[in-house]
Amino acid sequence: MASTPTIPSRTETIRAWKEQGGAIAAVLPIHHPRALLRAFGLLPVEVWGPPRVDPAPGAAHLQPYVCSIVGNALSFLLRDGLEVADVILVPHACDSLQGLGSLLLDFVRPRQPVFPLYIPRGRRESDLQFLADECRALYDKLAAATGRTPSEAELMESIRREEEADGLLAELYRRRRTLPLTDLAFYRLARAREYLPAEEFAALLRAVLDTPPTDPSAGLPILLSGIVPEPMGLLDAITQMGGVVVADDLACCGRRLYPPGTSTAPFRRMAERILNAPPDPTRGSPIAERLRHLMGMARETGARGVVFYDVKFCEPELFDLPLLRRRLQEAGLPSVHIEVDLNDPLSGQILTRVEAFLEMVAHQTPEEGHR
Amino acid sequence: MNLFNALRYGWNVNVLGPAVLRLQRWQAQRRPARWDTRYLAPPLRIAPRTKELVARHWLAGRYANGYRKVAWVTSGAPVELLKALDFYVLYPENHAAICGTARVAVDIASEAESAGYSRDLCSYARTDIGAVLSGKTPVGHLPKPDVLFACTNICQTVLFWYRVLAEYFGAPLVLIDTPFVYTEEAAEHAVRYVRRQLEEAVPILERIAGKRLDERKLRQVGLLSKRASELWLEILQRCRHRPAPISVFDQFIQMAPIVEMRGDPETVDFYAALLKEVDERIATGIGAVKNERQRVLWDNLPIWYRLRYLAEFLAQHGVAVVASTYTNAWGELAPLIDPDDLWESMARTYIYPILNRGTGHKLRTMQQMVKEYQLDGAILHSDRSCKPYSIGQMDQRDRLIRELGVPALLLEADHNDFRVFAEEQVATRLAAFVEMLG
Ligand code: SF4
Ligand code: SF4
Repeated sequence: MASTPTIPSRTETIRAWKEQGGAIAAVLPIHHPRALLRAFGLLPVEVWGPPRVDPAPGAAHLQPYVCSIVGNALSFLLRDGLEVADVILVPHACDSLQGLGSLLLDFVRPRQPVFPLYIPRGRRESDLQFLADECRALYDKLAAATGRTPSEAELMESIRREEEADGLLAELYRRRRTLPLTDLAFYRLARAREYLPAEEFAALLRAVLDTPPTDPSAGLPILLSGIVPEPMGLLDAITQMGGVVVADDLACCGRRLYPPGTSTAPFRRMAERILNAPPDPTRGSPIAERLRHLMGMARETGARGVVFYDVKFCEPELFDLPLLRRRLQEAGLPSVHIEVDLNDPLSGQILTRVEAFLEMVAHQTPEEGHR
Repeated sequence: MNLFNALRYGWNVNVLGPAVLRLQRWQAQRRPARWDTRYLAPPLRIAPRTKELVARHWLAGRYANGYRKVAWVTSGAPVELLKALDFYVLYPENHAAICGTARVAVDIASEAESAGYSRDLCSYARTDIGAVLSGKTPVGHLPKPDVLFACTNICQTVLFWYRVLAEYFGAPLVLIDTPFVYTEEAAEHAVRYVRRQLEEAVPILERIAGKRLDERKLRQVGLLSKRASELWLEILQRCRHRPAPISVFDQFIQMAPIVEMRGDPETVDFYAALLKEVDERIATGIGAVKNERQRVLWDNLPIWYRLRYLAEFLAQHGVAVVASTYTNAWGELAPLIDPDDLWESMARTYIYPILNRGTGHKLRTMQQMVKEYQLDGAILHSDRSCKPYSIGQMDQRDRLIRELGVPALLLEADHNDFRVFAEEQVATRLAAFVEMLG
């Protein structure tokens, strides 16, 4: 099986974008309207942590019981890691990200403008309307910051570009088992969506999707749920242990397979896309809906177990976990729960637990599985 | 509702229960003070009545199923809608606080932890889920909800928590989502969004209640709510007086009705009586702390299982804790409630609680309190399982020290989980803080 196609790194991408006269938006997790930023010539570069930074600068502002996604993001920023950014966007996903946005605005005050974005917690007409208004308000702030005022046609063009990239990403997901990619390579590619311009990302995906299909990847099929698969070495470890990730419910990946919108009004279309994405606790999706989604993915892909791979102190994940695990188990899908801190290396203890889980699943006869 | 349930409710809640509770009040009035009166004022005369009022509320809950519709509600929710539709309203956060004060919270939370709920989750949520799973409660029995009503104006945690309750009870979850206010003013589209959700909630609640919302009744409830909140704020502001007639620890105990019985006439009467007693204390020179030398602020939730310890320790050193961002939260929005423009004012009132506003706003509130209440220091309870209240405290503490020159202590604990309360460490830190106060 081939390994990673050549993916430009974050640093290269940012440099190239800036050389063309573009500007950078550092974007915190989870959901945001990429098309809106791009319409202003801003390349969204997402900051999921990042892993393995010196946590000390952030620890001067945040208590130790705040998750490492938020702690690391602040440490990274305070260590000038976001110097390349021209604006910072902080979408609202949970109490911790809310706190980070507020700290940045009130106390840290970086040199770049900080724009919070509230993502509503329902999928009612009022939620849709609010998010459309919120996108419009962000448009006004970006216009004031950049001096640009993209037209409606430009906004729609930007949306179309993102929808195309997301469509290809969904296709990549559908065909993942017959692509010449290891799990690690697959996720390196999928996660390049976090920083590559949509058109470059789409070109990369097209090249991969154009390769002839291979035999379905062998191994014990499992599903990965959680926030972010860090350290990424976990994926290679799963492969070496005889597992294969056939689907995911990761906040950075599968929960952001945004479907195309239908509205011809740009802000509403941006809102539709976010609210119609797969279920996500941070958008208020009911647990039953999440369960149906996980079960559906497992049925379609033949997954025989679920690895819940969470960031420590992540309330949105931790609240759903007991019921999800119990009901999955009742339906014949065993699971394991692992919590990590983004600054910790992949420990022997974690690997042993994953290995033990895979062995346990492998010994379970398929009939004992899905009911 | 069937006849048996109506009779059972009427007999227990209106006849037998009140008689028993009156007797208990009579006994309580004769009991000697439990807290150390060498340093603290004798207990408020109204205290047994508070207990009776709160006990009556939980007693009504005990027999509510089958007689009244029941709503489980978050503490910052626009309860006026539910009151006007005659729901029995239960606040899981209050129930959890009762468990905390009675020191049974950890035992009950362990039931949730055994079912897989992490110890990193809010200890109110764990206590509540534990009570649901085990049926354990110090209030006798919790009625099942016909509807869950969650408002995100205190935290997002409540929504994660109520989604869990929705699964256990199979009850509908009505959400009022209140976008976080990062800057001084909420955006107009955010206020519009809250108002729209309030309006959209009405037909859902009417269907569950089996009756139409009477706008006149809603206005009446709004008026009572506003009046109770105003009285509560007046009581808190009396603590600007030296010596402060009541302490924050008294406020924590006396705040139950403003949270769980807002909109009821008894609540207005109760706070009018409390205000009278507070004024009497001022007139006769009674201070909550007998030898008040220093006055400090409390930030964040109470440490429910150590109220007495903290009150006595500080009072012993002449330190009175006289103001709190937490108790203030139930009074400061009173001026925003306008019974003549209820829908719009409800939207504005419920988007602006301190917990739905930025960390800078909280700092400014604290700074203002330091000035208005002439405070000498601040204790910021860094509450391990309440992130929304705690994030920002490290900067807030630094700024209080730097800009106002007052000592400020970050005290690590948890509102309900005594397993994270490091007794010796707290004592050492409090002693050092008291020394810094001079
Ligand atoms: S890991 Fe969880 S708690 Fe942390 S920012 Fe992400 S959603 Fe919030
Ligand atoms: S204690 Fe904090 S986290 Fe828990 S419900 Fe209250 S505000 Fe939310």
